[in-house]
Amino acid sequence: MTDAIVLAVVVPIVASVLTLASGLVFDRSGWYVAALACVTELALAVWVGLSVLGTDTGRIAYKLAGFDTPEGIELVADGLSTPVLVLIAAVSLAVLVYARRAGPRGNAFYTVYLLLITGLTGVTLTGDIFNMYVFLEITGLAAYALVASGDSTRAAHASLKYLIIGTIGASLFLLGAGYAYVATGTLNMVDLSEQLAAAGYTSRLVVAAFGLLVTGLLVKVALFPVHTWQPDAYANAPDSVSAYISALVSTVAAYALARVLLTVFTPDFFAAIPLASDAVVAAGTVSIIAGSVLAVLQSDIKKMLAYSSVSQFGMIVVAFGLLSQTAAVGGAIHLLGHAVLKGGLFAAAGIVLRETGARTIDEYAGLAGRAPVAAGTVAVLGLSLVGVPPSVTFVGKWYIAVGAVEQGVWPVAAVILMSTLLTLAYIARIIERMYFAPATEPSTATESEAAVSADGGDSVVSSPEKTRSVSVGMYAVVVLAAIAAVALGLLADIIRTAFLQETLQGVFL
Amino acid sequence: VTEAVVGDVRPLAAVLVSALAIPVILALHRRQNLREGATIVTALTKLTLVGSMVPGVLDGTVYETNLGTFVQGIGLTFRADPLGILFGLLASGLWVITSFYSIGYMRGLDEHDQTRYFAAFAASLSTAIAVAFAGNLVTLFIAYELLTVATYPLVAHDETGEARAAGRKYLAYTFVGGVAVLAGTVLVFWLAGDTAFAGGGIDSLATAAESDPALARLAFALLAGGFGVKAALMPVHSWLPDAMVAPTPVSGLLHAVAVVKSGVFGIARVTLEVFGPETVQSLGIGLPLAAVAAVTLLTASVIALRQDNLKRRLAYSTISQLSYIVLGLGVLSPAAITGGLLHIPAHAFMKLTLFFCAGAIHVETHTDDISNMAGIGKRMPLTMAAFAVAAAGMAGIPLLAGFVSKWYLLIGSVAAPETGSAIFAVALLVSGMLNIAYFWPIVYQAFFESPGASGEKPLLSGPFGGLAAAGVFDGVSADDTVRADGGTDDDHSAEDHHERGDHPEEHHETGDAHEDHHDGDDAHHHHGGPPEDGWDRRDWTGGESTWFMLGPILTAATGAVALGVAPVTFVFLRIVQEIVARTGVMV
Repeated sequence: MTDAIVLAVVVPIVASVLTLASGLVFDRSGWYVAALACVTELALAVWVGLSVLGTDTGRIAYKLAGFDTPEGIELVADGLSTPVLVLIAAVSLAVLVYARRAGPRGNAFYTVYLLLITGLTGVTLTGDIFNMYVFLEITGLAAYALVASGDSTRAAHASLKYLIIGTIGASLFLLGAGYAYVATGTLNMVDLSEQLAAAGYTSRLVVAAFGLLVTGLLVKVALFPVHTWQPDAYANAPDSVSAYISALVSTVAAYALARVLLTVFTPDFFAAIPLASDAVVAAGTVSIIAGSVLAVLQSDIKKMLAYSSVSQFGMIVVAFGLLSQTAAVGGAIHLLGHAVLKGGLFAAAGIVLRETGARTIDEYAGLAGRAPVAAGTVAVLGLSLVGVPPSVTFVGKWYIAVGAVEQGVWPVAAVILMSTLLTLAYIARIIERMYFAPATEPSTATESEAAVSADGGDSVVSSPEKTRSVSVGMYAVVVLAAIAAVALGLLADIIRTAFLQETLQGVFL
Repeated sequence: VTEAVVGDVRPLAAVLVSALAIPVILALHRRQNLREGATIVTALTKLTLVGSMVPGVLDGTVYETNLGTFVQGIGLTFRADPLGILFGLLASGLWVITSFYSIGYMRGLDEHDQTRYFAAFAASLSTAIAVAFAGNLVTLFIAYELLTVATYPLVAHDETGEARAAGRKYLAYTFVGGVAVLAGTVLVFWLAGDTAFAGGGIDSLATAAESDPALARLAFALLAGGFGVKAALMPVHSWLPDAMVAPTPVSGLLHAVAVVKSGVFGIARVTLEVFGPETVQSLGIGLPLAAVAAVTLLTASVIALRQDNLKRRLAYSTISQLSYIVLGLGVLSPAAITGGLLHIPAHAFMKLTLFFCAGAIHVETHTDDISNMAGIGKRMPLTMAAFAVAAAGMAGIPLLAGFVSKWYLLIGSVAAPETGSAIFAVALLVSGMLNIAYFWPIVYQAFFESPGASGEKPLLSGPFGGLAAAGVFDGVSADDTVRADGGTDDDHSAEDHHERGDHPEEHHETGDAHEDHHDGDDAHHHHGGPPEDGWDRRDWTGGESTWFMLGPILTAATGAVALGVAPVTFVFLRIVQEIVARTGVMV
């Protein structure tokens, strides 16, 4: 029964090699191998989910190579990791469908894509802190490569920036894991939580380990002010890649953060070192505001969405930092919901670019007339992101706000509630332009492309982009994301009672 | 009162029926008659569903649809209780009337994007009914926010810079209000552990309010303030006059009934069924609310005097009238509550009539400014007669809807336990006089004056404080005094006359409205006003407009009369009495 857990990590990495190998023989086999792997992955994720539901404890573990913990490495599926696993599998399949037409193509892309899935799945399932570092690095390296697969020089530049900052983050995490190991002599998360208590929460080693682990992860999450790699990476990567990494990479890093905060250090640590929790909450709160302000200042849609992520992840970090069960439920729900929303928005932005050539907010004027379905999904996803109920963002925000009030941190509660307005500030601009502004000609002068394509006539400058077709599958993906944004809100309570509740109750005894 | 909660699908069905109509309306975008047919059928279905629950509710039954838990401890429930049915019946009933009117109005002006308009209208009604039937604060909040979203396309419908600005303002104001409502809801949930509405207030909240009155007051302030945005309480009212840029049926149904009343309705839920009159009284928060309402209703009436654009004057009148309701809910004596709640349907019927009249005048003559309406009674006799009836009702003339509700409000203010509540009665009387002051000139000049020979309206156009005061202190002659709206005293009509003299070809278009039906392009850049040779005379048999507009106008006006003559038979007063009985206030 627990085999599905390990298979969920093994299948994508094997498929990754298979893609490469079959590519030597068949030119276009990559997508099919990847599709098969993604379908299998989704089935495995569902299987794991059902298995977790079937247990009394809501937790199943697989011991790698039969070594017992704490020496051996275990893979764990519980109420927190299982929903993330299902999310990864579902989004991977959806983006693969999207990428079939939107590209990038070629077996190399699919190989790295599957490698990325391996990394994400591994981070989600591992119960070992060093193993988590390994999978974080796999995730990171695959993501750097995918960002660089965009064909402009800016993509290469963004990828380099991402690589440097991401590596710093990973190194900090590794250092933190080292400190924790020195303090306790163990790397298993559950064992760590006990040994850290034994070592004394106020010990400098433990506090240093906490600081390094959390800072490293915050770089990966892209919290303000260590977010600088993220907007460039999201904005310059190919559309499929932006959709995928915006949906999952920071999400899984935030999940890892939740694991470190709740499972490894546990609320007891924060009771002993209250400053630690305050610092995490403060960092998240600042990020909510700063991310939104930066998003409002953007004119490029993808950049704006990227800064929006900085803000939304601020809220997720706050949720886990508040150390209230209610807030943590909200954080988990927002984590899942935001992934669907942001991935959907980036995918929709890609469709709009291919259909109309519009990439700035001003160029979205009158979009409802030119691309009604894309405009409609952007509107639904955008309003969901604002937190218009009954969308999933609203549900997450509700729990986080209630949690903040429970903990008596009024300023944080106020910021979380106000974040609705901050989000509205940048989303309403797009919606108003799409539906109520007269269409402007996609400008030929605003972009640097105008200079690049000076070989063609002025009137047809943007036509190469216009002619790129959009497949039904691409539309299906964004429409499904829009439906999921609302449906997840209505079904959030099922996720809470089936998965989150039991695991989080164990944390907040 | 014994209350039996019965599981029933009708509350949800009433909400969903117009939501399900949206795809149908969108799909029929090429076949206008079928599309409008879908709207009418949906409106009638909705009214039937809501109406079928009225007898049961009056007998003490509460119909409830429970969709399960939405967030921990709070269900997604729709329940038709007396307060809900009051708002639900009103909104769904008036939607039927407005649907017919919309057809006349939108086709009369040959408006663009009619499909989007009708779809958004259906969505608005779906959410308005959801507001009515929401069974707890969280469900109410969901509906309240969705109502904002659904009405936004209607406000920005014109797609002009002005309309977009109005839409932005509308979104900004109502979302800020929404955040306040959400914050208040979170606090209530935290204090009481429950947000489900209960006649006389949530028990656990009353207990919590005793131990922590400061937080309870904060929660009340956030909720009342948040709902107050849509209820257009001053100083958060200014979105409403700007929203008048919307098509007139929208101003009529949404900005006099559904949207603004959802705010008032929210305040009613909060005072009567979340906190409960007793807790509100013991926290001492009713009086401040009533004071805000009293200030609003007087100030808005004074501002209304100076609005030359008919719809803007009606908007300020709405702001004023909504505060009557809030005042009743703040004073909280049984009669005041009765008066306040009864004013919800009373104001709705009257104001809908007035807006429909303004819309009919716009469609037929493209006249928007009151100063251009002298003698218009000749051109549109039925319309202006209905206008006169509704205006009289607004002022509280007996035998009309406004009288009954204001009577209860007056009695309630005088009889209220708090000392000093009688001052609210004075405010009500003064406001009644101001109502006459800003409506009578319109009626008078429509019937008894003609474009060339309209007299001065000193109360409306003279400087506040009188001619002498302005002259003495400013050292300028009264004629040059700057008017409140930025124009000068008397240049308006003269200028218009001048312009018209220069462009004789425009008269032809304004003069014959039926031509405009066919080419509505020029509708937007018209100055309006009477043709050069005065209004032509139309008889009293409906030649002035289409029956798509006249029918709804007369129906709404009839409703206003019916509510004044037989408030109990016309069911609304009975519902209100049922609500008051449930709150547990001694009648």
